[in-house]
Order: sequence, then structure tokens, then C-alpha cells
Amino acid sequence: MASEPKMIIIDTDPGIDDAMAIFLALRSPEVEVIGLTTIYGNVYTTLATRNALHLLEVAGRTDIPVAEGSHVTLTKGTKLRIADFVHGADGLGNQNFPPPKGKQIEESAVDFLIRQAKNNPGKVTVVALGPLTNIALAIQQDPDFSKNIGQIVLLGGAFAVNGNVNPASEANIFGDPDAADVVFTSGADIVAIGINVTHQVVLTASDREKLANSKGKFAQYLTKILGVYFSYHLEAYDNTGVYLHDPTTILAAVDPSLLTYIEGSVRVQTSGITRGLTILYNKQKRFGEVTEWSDKPSVKVAVTVDAPAVVKLVMDRLMDS
Amino acid sequence: MASGLMGANSNGVSGSHANPEKLIIDTDPGIDDSMAILMAFQTPEVEILGLTTTFGNVSTEGATRNSLLLCEIAGCQNVPVAEGNPEPLKGGIPRVADFVHGSDGLGNMSLPPPKAKKIDKSASEFLVEKISEYPGEVSILALGPLTNIALAIKRDSSFANKVKKVVILGGSFFALGNVNPAAEANIYGDPEAADVVFTSGANIVVVGLNVTTQVILADADLLQLKNSEGKHAQLLSDMCQFYRDWHVKSDGVYGIFLHDPVSFVALVRPDLFTYRKGVVRVETQGLCVGHTLMDQGLKKWNSSNPWTGFSPVSVAWTVDVDGVIKFIKETLMKP
Repeated sequence: MASEPKMIIIDTDPGIDDAMAIFLALRSPEVEVIGLTTIYGNVYTTLATRNALHLLEVAGRTDIPVAEGSHVTLTKGTKLRIADFVHGADGLGNQNFPPPKGKQIEESAVDFLIRQAKNNPGKVTVVALGPLTNIALAIQQDPDFSKNIGQIVLLGGAFAVNGNVNPASEANIFGDPDAADVVFTSGADIVAIGINVTHQVVLTASDREKLANSKGKFAQYLTKILGVYFSYHLEAYDNTGVYLHDPTTILAAVDPSLLTYIEGSVRVQTSGITRGLTILYNKQKRFGEVTEWSDKPSVKVAVTVDAPAVVKLVMDRLMDS
Repeated sequence: MASGLMGANSNGVSGSHANPEKLIIDTDPGIDDSMAILMAFQTPEVEILGLTTTFGNVSTEGATRNSLLLCEIAGCQNVPVAEGNPEPLKGGIPRVADFVHGSDGLGNMSLPPPKAKKIDKSASEFLVEKISEYPGEVSILALGPLTNIALAIKRDSSFANKVKKVVILGGSFFALGNVNPAAEANIYGDPEAADVVFTSGANIVVVGLNVTTQVILADADLLQLKNSEGKHAQLLSDMCQFYRDWHVKSDGVYGIFLHDPVSFVALVRPDLFTYRKGVVRVETQGLCVGHTLMDQGLKKWNSSNPWTGFSPVSVAWTVDVDGVIKFIKETLMKP
């Protein structure tokens, strides 16, 4: 690479596809992972921290700090929806991995995010793979955060399609809708990757076989934990492959040209039966009255993806590890 | 169509077809409502049992006046007009889209007041009475907020089973609204009522903005209409001026969307559309109030959610645009 790698912080709730995404980032010379911050979602925050430390040990990258994130939602909600039926009770496919030797840093995820953004203004990209609580707290605690942060690439929302928690809502946004609305309306440079896009990126059973037959260290590890994830997709979607939500989002940070985007303001419904619904307004149509979208800053929302290129990149980089 | 279009007959109903479909139009005229209503009166395949009125494009009172007027214009002054609820289920002054349809709802045409009077029964009483009189035979074309239909469902627990079909103009499925990005005007007008109707178990076909905004009567078509021998062509093209100017301003469209006429076509020519079935719920609170959300059934949910357990409805999915425009133009340009 001619230019310096992009500094990224991965905010994550590992999670099987999170594990894949983290390994993928570590194998991508275009980016330098300067830290992991943890959040609830696929698992509780404490387990997310444990899994983040574990994955870095597997990768031999214990030099990368892990900062633990919020245990509750922005509105202090504790009844968190944990997706153990998707990722297994341990978040990593029920493999009974030994506990990690390392520990998280003293600094909280929010403080870590704020400090890194402040020290490297405009240069740090946050790739947010779980509910957006940590990011929203950083925005609320530091009025300069949304300016200091280079970009926020987030996996979240279902734009003009059904959700995956219920017909209205995608899991990460559903996890903390209030936080998501804070982030979308913050004015930061935001790229949202919704399931309207990630559902197009499928790792097939034969891809899985190729991973299993490769010598790649990460490929070998992932082969072990993918079983639960494949079973869930067969049960819920009648799909013999699995969706690559988190890896696609990482690759959007690595190479934005793999996707196309439209710009507009995004708001999140925070109450009612459609709690967690994401609505994008592309600012083309003019309404008769002022709306809740009218004066909000624009974000980029992914609309198409070169799925074969994404899957190929994921495979190549995981097998060559 | 099985036979040519025929004018209204003397007893005030247009049905002179062998076996016309009994129809009640629930409406808030409204410029595109007027087009749909006058089309219905020109279509022998339907027999209009009555009009019921609601707020939306105008107040309910204004909708009653305009409905009576439209019956007169069609030469069908004996068709009963039953006035509906003046406000949505939860109460409060309804939002009226006078910036779209003019303060009189008919493009500020200064038309004379109607001679006929509304009937004594309320809209929901009339709906329940007619549906009970002809169980399984009466369809409803709902062109405004769904307050009256919801009240009829609440008034008579067998209403949903006895109505033949309810064709609803409302909602926007996986597409932008027209009141705001989340909501379409008819559903926004009474979200609680809409949710009652969608979850009632009735045989429902819903035509949303995702379909109706594909069907545009362009300036050239409007000119063609104006120069035609159509029975109501002059009146309608005069009315459309105001409506057309709004479309240029709001959507950059040089022409008009045919929301209500398209919904009427979905009733008489369902073959010009494709549909998908799914449970539809309406958000009744928060910033997306009035949003219509359909479960497409692509995923097996691992626990119950607010869509679970309700009967699916038919959501218009694609439209034969040329076929619908052709049908509408032929009907409107018929002398």
C-alpha cells in the first residue's frame, strides 16, 4: 500500500460473523486495527469482552487493546435481547474455548473512543458491528466526537425491507434504537450497511468446505464455530448458506467501492410496534409540512453490493492466514 | 371488459350490467377521488349502493357536500350519501390536505352547492346495514382515512366476514410516504382505524404509494382529456389544474398521480396488478406514526411479534402501468 493504513476501531459483540470480521480486518493491509470496544448484542457485554480477548489471542494480536463497553442501553435498559440462538450460548458456536489470559484495559470503551478520535482527528474509523450505545455515549459525552471521528461505518438497519428481529426491525438497531437515532442524527460522517445489502452476501456450504480444506489458521478456526450459524440460517431462512453481515461491513471500511450508496437523513423509531424501524429520506420529494427528517444531516446508506467480490475477498484473506 | 361502458340510468345507479358488483365508496373528495367516483358511475360492471364520507382531502362536512355534488354531476342524485365521522378514532381535529386539493377539495372551482341532502344514517350505520342486507356481495372502495370502516367493524362483529372485499388506497410499502418519509396521508389520517381494518380478517386488497406513484397522467394526457368528448372531461381537467401544480412543486412531476382512480381499477380490473400476501400492521405512535409495515414472510420468527397471528391481506405489488392508464383514459374520455 502506498498510503498509510486507515486506523480502525471495531465496536463489536462477538458473535460468529463478528469473529470472521475481526480476523478479516487483521488480514487487511488497508486498515490497522487500533482497538476493539465491546458491546452487548449477540452476547452480553462481559462475554463480548471475553470473546474479543480470546479472538485476539487466537490471532496472536494481544498487542491490540480491548476496552469494555456499556452493559445497558442509552436509556439504561437492561432487558437486552441476546441472540444466543444465532451464535450459541458462548457467542462462538458452543466450542468451550478456554478463558483468555489477557484482560481488557482500564479505560472504558466510550473513553477509549473519545480519546482516540481526539488524538487522531479525522483519521479514525469506527466500524460498529453491534448496537450503537458506545458510539451514542461518545457523541453525548464529547461534543467534538462527531467532528473528530473520521467515519463511522455501521452494520445496522433494514432499509425498505423487513427486519430480522421482527418484520420492522434489524437486530443491532433494535438493541438500542435511541442510541441509533442519536448516531444517525449526529452529523458525523456515517456509512450505514443494512440487511437490505448484507442479505445479498452469502457464504455457501461449498465455500465453507473450501475454508475447511484450506491451511489458513483463521479459516480452520472459523470452520469449527460456523456450525451453529449455518443451522440457524437453515431453520430461520431455509437458506443453506449464511449471511456475511459483519464481514461485509468491515470490507465497506476497507474498500468503499465494493458498494454503492445513496445519501439522505435516517431516523429511527424508538417506540411502538415498529420500534427499531429505520427510515431513510433521500431529500428528493418535498413535503407539504416540516417533517422529523427535514433538517437532519445526511448519511450514506448502502444500496448495492458487489457480492461475489466481497465473498471472494473474505475467502481469500481468511484462507491465506 | 365484458361490455361497453354505459351511462347512468334513471334510478340513480349506474349498474345495468348483467351482474354488477355492489359497491360503496368511502371517500373524501378530493380531486382524484372525483375522478374515481365519476369513473365508477361510468362503469356498468359496478352498482353504486352509496357513498360514505370521511375527512382527509377536505373536512368530513366538505366531503359530504362534494359527494352530493358529484352524484348530481353524474346524474345519480338518488344515490345515498351517508356522512362519516368528523374526526379520527382517537379524536382531535383532523389534518386536511387543502394545499393539495384546494380549500373546497375540488381545486377551488367555486361550484354551486348541491341540491340533494345526505341521508340520516351515519356512514358506519349505512355500511353495516348494506353489508348485512347483501352478505358476501358488497365491496367497499376506501379512498380516505379508514375511520368509518373501523367503526363499522366495531359496530358489527360479523362485518369483516360479510363484506365481500375492501379495496383500500393507503400506505406505502417499503417506499417513501407522502405526508412525511414514513407515512402516507390516508393511513396517517387515522392510524388506529387503519390498524383495526388491516387486522380485522376481512378480505382486503391494499394499494399503496409504491404502486400509485408509478401511474402518472402526464400533461400531454391531461390535454388529451381536456380536448376529448368525455362526459366529465372538462370539469375534471379544470379541477386538475390545482392538483397538477402541487405535483410539480412536491415531486417534480409534470402531471398527476392517479391514486384513487388506480385503486378503482384494482377493484374492477384486478388482473392489471400483481399482489403479495402478508400481515400488515400500522404504527400508531412515535415519529413513524402511520407507517404501514407488511411481514413478507421471508423469515421464520423464533418468537411471536406484533404481526403474529393476524390474517394476511393482499398488497398490490406491481402494476401494468400502460394497461391502467389506458383503462382510465378510455373511461374518462367516454362521451
